[in-house]
Amino acid sequence: MFERFTEKARTVVVLAQEECRQRGDQAIGTEHLLLALFRVPENLAAMVLDGFSVRRADVEADLAARWTTPPPDGAADADALAALGIDLDEVRRRVEEAFGPGALDRARTPKRRFLGGHIPFAKEAKKALELALREALALKHNYIGTEHILLGMLHGEGAAHDVLVERGVLLDVARVIVDELVRGRRAG
Amino acid sequence: MSEATEVAAAASSRDPAIGLAGVAALRRLLESLEELQVANARAQGWSWQQIADALSVSRQAVHKKYRRTVA
Repeated sequence: MFERFTEKARTVVVLAQEECRQRGDQAIGTEHLLLALFRVPENLAAMVLDGFSVRRADVEADLAARWTTPPPDGAADADALAALGIDLDEVRRRVEEAFGPGALDRARTPKRRFLGGHIPFAKEAKKALELALREALALKHNYIGTEHILLGMLHGEGAAHDVLVERGVLLDVARVIVDELVRGRRAG
Repeated sequence: MSEATEVAAAASSRDPAIGLAGVAALRRLLESLEELQVANARAQGWSWQQIADALSVSRQAVHKKYRRTVA
């Protein structure tokens, strides 16, 4: 599906993979694509985002706020399990009795699975890239650039969509800006 | 309120935030125990098929899930 991607758009996909790996995430999500957009110099998507005064640091802060799920072995889980009548400490004690100290918590540490290997796209990211193609076609562009990836992200689901919409980046407005920028570029 | 009544109140809560957090915590605990037990079974020489049968899942499912983390 990447045949029509411009060099910069391809770079975004590659960098998204890097962002994903650095964070130890298991699949490339729209948030990784969005973070990657900021790292490619002089791309149209970044210009559009700049027009909305959205910077990488803002996005990082928003994403960090969304990812504040408690660690798996945190006190929150113990409370939640206690509400169901399960004593996590007691479970841990019995498991350690059989398997040795730290046995349960070792298993509870999330594994960094795809280190070095191929990282799959999350459903939303795949969808966003498909929509990027659709956006390019609608604008009668015969390539898929970073600007189309951004528009694709703005369509629907995914962390990038939520973060951007909360920061006032709207699909319709962004599409008009992209159109103008591309026309301007052709004219000039 | 005594501790026991508090727990009972929470468990019977219709608040989705409490109920779903309980399910999520339970799932994480389940996953940990499963990984631990699968690793233990493998270490004791159980085949993937035997483990799958004991877990009531397909051999493919258990192998796919654990082949990277469990020898």
